[in-house]
Amino acid sequence: MASLKSEDDQARFASVVLPHLADAYALARWLTGDRADAEDVVQEACLRAFRGIGGFAGVNARAWVLTIVRHAAYTWLGKNRSASLVMVDDLETLEQKQSSAGAAFEQAPQTPEAELIAKADARRLEAAIAELPVPFRETLVLRDVQGLDYREISEVTKVPIGTVMSRLARARRRLIERIGTDKPGGAP
Amino acid sequence: MTPTDPRLLVHAYVDGELDPAHALEVERQLADDPALAVERERVEALRRVIAEQLPREGAPPSLARRIEAAVGLRPAPAPARASARPSWRALAASVAVAAFLGSGATWLALSPGPPDADMVVANHVRALMATHPVDVGSSDRHTVKPWFNGRIPEAPRVVDLASEGFPLVGGRIDVIGRTPVATLVYRVRQHLISLSEVPAGRTIATSPGQIGGYNIVSWTDNGVAYWAVSDVAAADLDTFAKAFRAAEPER
Repeated sequence: MASLKSEDDQARFASVVLPHLADAYALARWLTGDRADAEDVVQEACLRAFRGIGGFAGVNARAWVLTIVRHAAYTWLGKNRSASLVMVDDLETLEQKQSSAGAAFEQAPQTPEAELIAKADARRLEAAIAELPVPFRETLVLRDVQGLDYREISEVTKVPIGTVMSRLARARRRLIERIGTDKPGGAP
Repeated sequence: MTPTDPRLLVHAYVDGELDPAHALEVERQLADDPALAVERERVEALRRVIAEQLPREGAPPSLARRIEAAVGLRPAPAPARASARPSWRALAASVAVAAFLGSGATWLALSPGPPDADMVVANHVRALMATHPVDVGSSDRHTVKPWFNGRIPEAPRVVDLASEGFPLVGGRIDVIGRTPVATLVYRVRQHLISLSEVPAGRTIATSPGQIGGYNIVSWTDNGVAYWAVSDVAAADLDTFAKAFRAAEPER
């Protein structure tokens, strides 16, 4: 309970966690796909962060907060969207198979021009990102929407930097293909 | 980390993640390999369009307030102040809202904290505590509306606001005073909104307010008084009210 916590913890929470609330919310929204669910996830994560504020090593507050948010989001996904997490296991297996076979990249059926990519609107982008499997989606969002560097992403998602790089490349490739095959303008 | 695929390294190059030696190597490959250069253009185009189209948005202020309250950084949300008179600010706000909503409707700021508002909130609270907040549960207005036939004199106006972010949950009969009224229940995120429709003569709509921590918005359209009550933020409830009033008349 809050009342048992010292004012130090509150001050620490205010300086470590609160500045990264927007990032926390953004990640939770991309992972859950819903604003209200994201609020629940962030609130849960913040309570966890508050309880564990003493364990923060003081290096990278944003990465620390996002790690907790991601964990809370996965817990939430496990409860509410278990299907999306089942896919993660399959995907990891697939990814390992592919990389061990040296087939890091599939042949793209289409190779859209940069010009076409630049015309994508917010809705198509959001839809395409939402369709990405969770490990690809979180990597892409952390890098291209939230601006973390590879090392931070590696810390948050608990995978080696090489995996961050390959996931990011695949996520981008999927997006590029998706945007390239969509009809410009999309649905009204 | 020793990725050898040059197409993988292009991503790291675009992201500024390569050390100078590797960056130079990639630049050399980019100059030699047009296909690789095209890949780089695509990745850069994607990054640009994401930055342009998906700007980072802040967390909702209500979320920050809730979290601060949860860890004791700010007092828990204050219960409603039962003000004896509407303040100038509130009055001005409701006038502004009335002006915004335009003709064909009236927003009145006359009787603060009338018993009817208390009863609307009490109905809402009771419904939340019951096993089911609705007597007829359906997101289909063509199921919900006919359910009221024979139970109350006038069928309520039921509109579909799912696309506005307020899916219909169902309906129930509430009692205000001694009058049975139709109450629709809509969901917004994890919260429920009770919307009671009270036939003319029973009540006067008051300005948006708060009772016991619940926000209330009320208005009158075509002689029917509407009361919306929920624990969502006042702004969300206003959005709901506007969406409901703006919705196409049902057929």
